[in-house]
Amino acid sequence: MKEILNIKNTKERIDRIEDILASVASGDMDARINSEIEDDFSGIEAAIDLLINDLTDELRQRENMQKELENKLSKIQDQQKTILQQQEDLLELSSPVSKVWDNILILPVIGTLDSQRTQVMMENLLQKIVETGCTISILDITGVPTVDTQVANHLLKTVTAARLLGAECIISGISPAIAQTIVHLGIDLSAIRTKATLQDAMIFAMKQNKRADEVRALGNLALPNEKTD
Amino acid sequence: MNLHEKRIPIIKIHDYLIVPIQVDMHDKLAIQLQSQILEEIAKTRAKGVLIDISVLEMVDSFIGRMLSGMASMAAIMDTSVVIVGMQPAVAITLVELGLEMPGVDTALNMEKGMEMLERRLNSRKTDSF
Repeated sequence: MKEILNIKNTKERIDRIEDILASVASGDMDARINSEIEDDFSGIEAAIDLLINDLTDELRQRENMQKELENKLSKIQDQQKTILQQQEDLLELSSPVSKVWDNILILPVIGTLDSQRTQVMMENLLQKIVETGCTISILDITGVPTVDTQVANHLLKTVTAARLLGAECIISGISPAIAQTIVHLGIDLSAIRTKATLQDAMIFAMKQNKRADEVRALGNLALPNEKTD
Repeated sequence: MNLHEKRIPIIKIHDYLIVPIQVDMHDKLAIQLQSQILEEIAKTRAKGVLIDISVLEMVDSFIGRMLSGMASMAAIMDTSVVIVGMQPAVAITLVELGLEMPGVDTALNMEKGMEMLERRLNSRKTDSF
């Protein structure tokens, strides 16, 4: 029993350490033991203080980093919102349907088509057909560089849907490259009326208009005849 | 009694029958309507049938098939069927379902449908002479 530990007020100091540790654990990072007594136990107390200091620094750093990350995240989210908004605007802008003549709608398509854009186009065109009551619509794809299977399918669907509504849809301006792709892909466009240029389509549409008028006139003439039958 | 309340009216005007569908179609009603229209065609010897579906928000595959089936049945009975006023959303759904209804005539509205039938009737008359 040579070595006898020189510790004063053991009970109180251990209690104090416990208190400090408890308050640190509950979030009070300013709590320190700060013992003024110099003996065998004070080393441990100093070590605990140092550990608490380190812990506080680490926590501060982490908080700062988190804040930074949150800032960046919100910035990115803002940017994403803008991009989405612009995409929507672009979609709206990219499918203008205009009535150019009695009974005739034109939808000029410029740029590369993807499924989403063709979907919006289809909806816009059908909506416009119902709104205006035009029975002939021209889908001009002169400004489209390439077409893939999905897009060709969508175009087919658009034409079929227009037919279901009771309107005719003409596709004009199919470029040599697109014609090649469509035939290579094995897509059958024979059920769809296609014209070389927008001009041809326009002429065809106006002829259809004229014919409809003539038939209407004929019908009006035929009605009185019917009564004499 | 309940069935009678839900009957869809079939209106005869000159040579045409007009069928305005204004209630949500369910399968039983569709089958009932089909036979009802065919009987009416036989009774009135109508030359054309206009089915107005402008208020229908939803047409499922069954109704779609019923409509196209009806067109072919009526064609055998020497009557043309025109589907009138389909909504864009309905058209898109039918196309997505692959129900493209070949051989069924469609028109944007009742007026245009009537014109279409008249045109067809006239051409048939000139053919026969």
